[in-house]
Formats: sequence, C-alpha cells, structure tokens
Amino acid sequence: MAKVLMIDYEKCTGCRLCELVCSVKHEGVSNPTRSRIKIVKWEMEGRYVPMSCQQCESAPCMVVCPVKAISRDGGMGRVEIDYDVCIGCRMCIAICPFGAMAFDTLAKKVIKCDFCDGDPLCVKFCEAEAIQYVDASMVSAVKQVAAAEKFTGIMQKVAAAIATV
Amino acid sequence: MALDRKIAYINLTTGEIETKPIPISIRKKFLGGRGLDMYLMYNHIKPGVDPLGPDNVAFVSAGILVGTLASASARTHVAGKSPLTGFVGSTNMGGFFAPEMRWAGFDHLVIKGKAEKPVYLWIHNGEIEIRDAKNIWGKTVHETQQIIREELGDRDIKILTIGPAGEKLVRFANVMTEIKNAGGRSGMGALLGSKNLKAIAVRGTMDIKIAHPAEALDYDKKVITQVTSAKVSQTQGRIGTPFIWGATNTQGLVRVRNFQLNQLENADDVEAEAIDEYVIGMTGCFGCQVHCRAKYIIPEGPYKGVYDEGPEYTAQGAFAAEPGCRSTLTILVGNHLTNIYGMDLLETGSLIAWAMELYEKGILTDKDTDGLELRFGNDDAVIEMIHRIARREGLGDILAEGGLRAAEKIGKGSIKYLIHVKGMSNLHSDERPTPALALGIATASRGSDHLRSRPAIDLYHLPEPVLRKIYSQPVAYDGPLTSDYRDYEGKPWQVFWHETCYEAVDCLGICKYHTTFLGATLPNFEEWSKLLYYNTGLEMSPLDIWTVAERAYNMERLFNLREGLTRDQDWLVDRYFDEPTKLGIPGIQGKTINREKLKKMIDEYYEHHGWDENGVPHPETTKKLDIDKEPSHML
Amino acid sequence: MAKETTSDTTMESLAKGRSIGAFRCLNCFERVIPPAGAKTYKCPHCSFEWRVFWISPTFPRIRGPVWDVNRQLAAEEVRKQRKGGK
Repeated sequence: MAKVLMIDYEKCTGCRLCELVCSVKHEGVSNPTRSRIKIVKWEMEGRYVPMSCQQCESAPCMVVCPVKAISRDGGMGRVEIDYDVCIGCRMCIAICPFGAMAFDTLAKKVIKCDFCDGDPLCVKFCEAEAIQYVDASMVSAVKQVAAAEKFTGIMQKVAAAIATV
Repeated sequence: MALDRKIAYINLTTGEIETKPIPISIRKKFLGGRGLDMYLMYNHIKPGVDPLGPDNVAFVSAGILVGTLASASARTHVAGKSPLTGFVGSTNMGGFFAPEMRWAGFDHLVIKGKAEKPVYLWIHNGEIEIRDAKNIWGKTVHETQQIIREELGDRDIKILTIGPAGEKLVRFANVMTEIKNAGGRSGMGALLGSKNLKAIAVRGTMDIKIAHPAEALDYDKKVITQVTSAKVSQTQGRIGTPFIWGATNTQGLVRVRNFQLNQLENADDVEAEAIDEYVIGMTGCFGCQVHCRAKYIIPEGPYKGVYDEGPEYTAQGAFAAEPGCRSTLTILVGNHLTNIYGMDLLETGSLIAWAMELYEKGILTDKDTDGLELRFGNDDAVIEMIHRIARREGLGDILAEGGLRAAEKIGKGSIKYLIHVKGMSNLHSDERPTPALALGIATASRGSDHLRSRPAIDLYHLPEPVLRKIYSQPVAYDGPLTSDYRDYEGKPWQVFWHETCYEAVDCLGICKYHTTFLGATLPNFEEWSKLLYYNTGLEMSPLDIWTVAERAYNMERLFNLREGLTRDQDWLVDRYFDEPTKLGIPGIQGKTINREKLKKMIDEYYEHHGWDENGVPHPETTKKLDIDKEPSHML
Repeated sequence: MAKETTSDTTMESLAKGRSIGAFRCLNCFERVIPPAGAKTYKCPHCSFEWRVFWISPTFPRIRGPVWDVNRQLAAEEVRKQRKGGK
C-alpha cells in the first residue's frame, strides 16, 4: 500500500525545522526556499500550515507536462520528476493547486517532495507529529478517530453539565 | 559555507554602508553573536559616550550556528551601551529574525550615527537599503511588521522593530520580532529609537552551506531527542515557562509587593495551570521542538479577542507577584501591552511595584499619580501605569527614566525601596534564601539579571555526584559543591560556570532552554563542539569554546570597567541583608543574605575569573585570553 | 575530538538517570511518587500537602501548596526551630 504525508496543521508549532532538514537533505544547505515543504504562516493569528506535494491521483502536473517528465513511481506511489527529460518550463508550477511544485532558482530546476526515498526527514524531525508518513488508507481512519474523540468529549461535557444541574 | 556571512557597517548620519567578510581568526576568538558583539562594542564605542547620543553604536547579530542544524539555532543578539545602566547593553531573543538575516547574507550589523528622520533598514540577499519610516513611526510592534510586509510585498519578511516605547526613549524599551520575541533588559529599543531607526527588515534566499550535512542531520536528531526527552522540556512544551512558578512561589522564592513578602499566597489564578485555561496552542522559535511559547486570546475586557503569545514566567512576576495582584487577566493584558509597546515587562512591573510601595508609604501622593490609586493589588492601576510609562505621561515619564534616575527625581528616601543592581531592576525572584542566585544578580554584567549566570538548577537539590559531573567539565574543578541551595559553599564556581555556559550559548545562537539552565541534563560544551564541527567545519574542542566564552565575558568586564564600574556595583541593595523573609516553607523563612559571606563569595568569584580584588582582570588573564592588546580594531 | 560521536557526552550519560513519574517534595526534597491522576498529594516524609498537575498521564508535577495545610505545618515547624535555637 502506498504511503502519503498526513498533515495535521493544528499540531504544527511553526518552527520550520522541516524546511531546514529538507533543504539540508536534498541540497546540503540551509535554505528554506530550496525546501520541498513550506510552512505557510498567519503569524498575527498563530496559524501555521505545512504545505507539500499531495501526490495527487489525477496529478495536474503530470497531465500538463509537455515532455512527460513527470510520472508516478510504482513502488512508493509518489509523483516524480525525471530530470533528464525535464526542460524547466515551469508549467507544472503554474498548474499545481497547492503551490507544491517549486522552482529552485539556484539549481535552476523544478523541485518537489520525493518522500526522501521512503524515509521522509520532515516526519522524522517533527516531534509535534504535525506531519506523519502513513498508509494512504490510514488517513481517513486517523481523522475519524480524532473527530470522534472531540465529539465524545463534547458529549461527556454536556452529560456532566446536565448531571450537575 | 556557514562562515561566509558578512559584517555590515551602516552609518545613519551619512548614509554610507560598507560590508566586509569576517576573518576566520576572529571567528575562532569570538565565534559570533554576543561574543563577537562584545569585541565590536569594545572596539567601536568610545569611552563615556552618551548612550542616547549619536556616538553610541548599535550591534545586531546572529550566533554562529544560527540557521543550521543545531537545535533551536534561532537567536538574535543586540548590543550597545545601555541607556538604562550606562554599562554593557546586551539582549538576546528568539524567533526567526536571525536565521533570515543569515539567509540574506549577514551575521553582524554595526549601526552608527543618527538618521535625520525616522528610517528603517531593508536587507535582502546581500543588499542593504535605508528607507523612509514615516508610515511606521508611532505604530505598535505588531502593526509595524504588517505594514512593512505590505509595503515590500513579501509576507515572509522578518522584522526586528521597536515599538512606541523605543521611539519615546523609555530607557528599558525592547527590540522585538514577530508577536512576542523580546530583546529585553538594558534598553536596546531606546538605543535604536535614539538613532531614529524604527526597524530592520530582512529577507534572504542565500544558501548556508552545511559542512557535513549527513552527520549534521544525524547529530541534530540526537541532540533534539536529548533535549525533548528532558522533563523540563516536556513541562515547558506543555505549559511554557510559567511552570517555574510552581516551584518558586510554592517554596517562597518570589518577590511580592516590591520586596515586602516572598510568596504570593492563595494566588491560584496566577499559576501556570490557570493561565493554561486561555491557551489555544503552543508555538516555537526556528528549528525548536520544545515549543515553550503559548498562544492565547484575551478572554474579556477592553482587549477581548486580541491574539498574543506568552505570557512567560516574568509576566507572572511583573503583573502579579510584584504589584501583589492575583488576576490571570492582568497578566494576559499586561503581557500584550508590553509586547505592542515594545517595553521590558520585567523592568516595567518592577518599577510599578516600587512606585506602589512609595505610594503606600506616602512618598508618592495622589498629586504625583494624577489621582491614580497606586495601591498593591490594584489591577487597573498596573494596566494604567503600563500605558503611562510607554507614553511617558505624568509619573510614567519619571519611571520611564529607569529606577535610579526616577529615585533621584522623586527623592524623599525613595531609593531605599528600589530593588536593583547597577540601575537595572531584578526579576521577581527573591534571592534572600539562595546565595548562589544572589551572587549571580550582584555580579551580572548587564545589571541585575537572571539570564547572565543564574545557576537555576541549584534549586533542584541535585545529588553532589551529579553536580560534580556537570561542573567539572570542560575545565576541572575539585572545590566544594553542595546540594543545598541555602549554602554559600561552592556557589561562586557554579555562578562562574553558568556565566561561561550562557556566554557560549549566546555566541553560538542557541536558546538557553537547550542548555544547562532550567534542565540539568541538557547539552553544553561537548555537544556544541560537535554541532560546530558538523555544521560549520570549525574544529573546536569543548575547552576551546569555553575559552571563547571566557574571553567574551572578559571583554564585557573590560567595557564596564572602562565605563567606570567599581566593585561597589557588584553588590545588592540593603534590603537583601536587613529584611528577613517571612513566608514559605520553614527552611527558607527568616532568611537574609549575609554581607560578609557575600563579600567572600564575590572574592572567590573574581579569583575564578582571574580578576583582582577590585574585579579587574589580572594582566596574566588578559594575556592568557589574548585580549591584552584590545582595542585591536581588526573588524 | 570534535568528530567523535560514539561515546556518550557527560550530559547524555546524566540523562539516563531521569525519573519521569516522580517529583521531589518541595519541603523535604525527598523523591516521591504520587498515585496516578491524584489531584493532591501528602508527602509521606514531611506531611506537607501539594496540589498536583499532570503534564501527561504518567508525568506529575507540583502545581502549588494546599495553602491552609502547609501554612499551619510551616508555622509549627518554625516555632519548634525557634525554641530549639534558644
């Protein structure tokens, strides 16, 4: 079963360590603009959302690529770029609905999440567990439990409130 | 590589800007951040300058490991001659400013002169521009950052700014970044304000090359685990620094009603767990997995619905213990106001509490307060005084000058009630039962302060063998060490050790919560040696790093001596010696600091430093540390 | 050596002595273990009583004193000390 990055933005503390480890892992440098993951912040409200490639089933980048440089990796299920074929036209960047395709202006190439070949460092370093690498089938199950937990919590509070009236 | 960041000299009077590389030889002597700032300060500030005049110099820097894989490598340092004390001005803050400044190509800024009208600096990818600040002058810390981002059209710009308090030259005004990262103590905000420099905006996309990326990743992961597995980190990550209150107020180590009591009794609403009721989540600085900072929304009153971050332990003291208040709301609002005004909350709360004691003793009257009932426990008066100080209105204008100047103006024996060292107010801790902590504040280079040398783990009652392990590296120590925080024995070494540890961590640009400050098992010299090598390629042993820190601290001492510091100023106010503690656990009731014993501790502390009985470094000491020819003007 | 990573540093070796689940009594400094979920805890060594907060289900900490109990105990103890001192 293919795995995906499951992002829970409510857990993100906004520290951007994921951006740092991503750029060091892939480019050997600290430089968030060369990271495959990006924390989008509403600093004045304390809201932080990690944004990365969703490895879409019907990936627009794959469809739009004029030289068919983007394909799905059979094993990991990731959407990947063949740099021998890529011409750097940036059509994929224009069409990606998440802004997850980026252009590295120093290396002059398109960059995107590659799951670090199966051991994503952003996941490994995120102790807040805002990013997890899980089976695609697990994503909804995990979210169901979290939602159910909230729901029963509210129910318990209501019950307790009624009991004390 | 990580060491190719530059130093920029910016003259606001002439508009001239010059950039230079930083030679490796200087790096090896001072690393970066606070250490190199202290070298620059001693070299660039002429003796005796007016701290608020154009001849004072402001230094803004990043630690040498900032932006690299060194766990919480986020720290910005700002220095200059302090408008509050006239001695070393130095402040260190977290957030995201320093990493962004490094990605923009710079490690150190030396800012001279005074702009004709308000300006801000725009620094991006090696370029520095001086821009008109008319749109942001007068704006709060939060507003300023939003306006600059809109003006320059990039939401990822990081901004170091002063608030209205800095513009009004409140002598304890802060530099700030983001919501609440505060460069407090010693009035660096007033220093920028005196230069008509409202803000520094940075944005960079330049690589910081990691020397050994694979090893750096592996080792950083290891260090992060070491940090986050500590009990103190888990506690901080859950309820933030207010957790400290649980131990200190419980025992009776908190300064209440200025200095009249040592415990805030029945103050359950001030506890971390009460504040936590209003917390909506935790956040952290760059690269930090401890996430000790709370996010909250003010629940009621005139500021209802406003978002802010914190409050920290200091806010519990400033807006509860010291003024004798017991309201969560006052803490939340007080914290917010000092954040947006850009003002040191610790100094603010301390001076308000002092004024309250003066009011209750009849030294200040309704005439002085314009009718404000400045009584202990009056929450509204605390909030009102924050506004008045920041805006310099009435009594606030007097307090904005700092304790010593205010005492001179008020007269009538008011100085007797002021709690300060070197003209800087103390944290709300009561050090009468804790000689080690008392020695720390008495000798700290920037005035009464808990972040210069406080051996906080002295409060943990650690077994002697554990203490021995901690304090015998990277330099050997076989003198006495005791687990009892009420003792005087061995404490000078602990203060000296922590002083050197904190100086080192400030040179590296790592947060103090990631070293031996609040936790006894957190990384220090040995780990830093490895982090430094993997990230920058610099090969320095734990002892080498210790020596850098000692060298930098001696530069601070030399600066202070040049500005007229004498041994008399490494001393506490009389109340520490004459008024015994009244509350708390039995073991700390009836405590005072013993004058003779403190004197002996100071002698011993000077000896550890290689200073004479007047606190002046011996010629052998400066020679050994290779600073005997300062100022050498190499940078 | 800067490059050596195999052996534990001083702090890494000290970290192995951590004791999650216990805290030190803030009066007598004995290490004690409160029962899971306890909201208050009386120290078996010195009888001082603490209000407890749980950082996690296995990690307790002292939130503050049970004011009335500890105030009384402290007053008695101080009285005794003063008598003994004479």
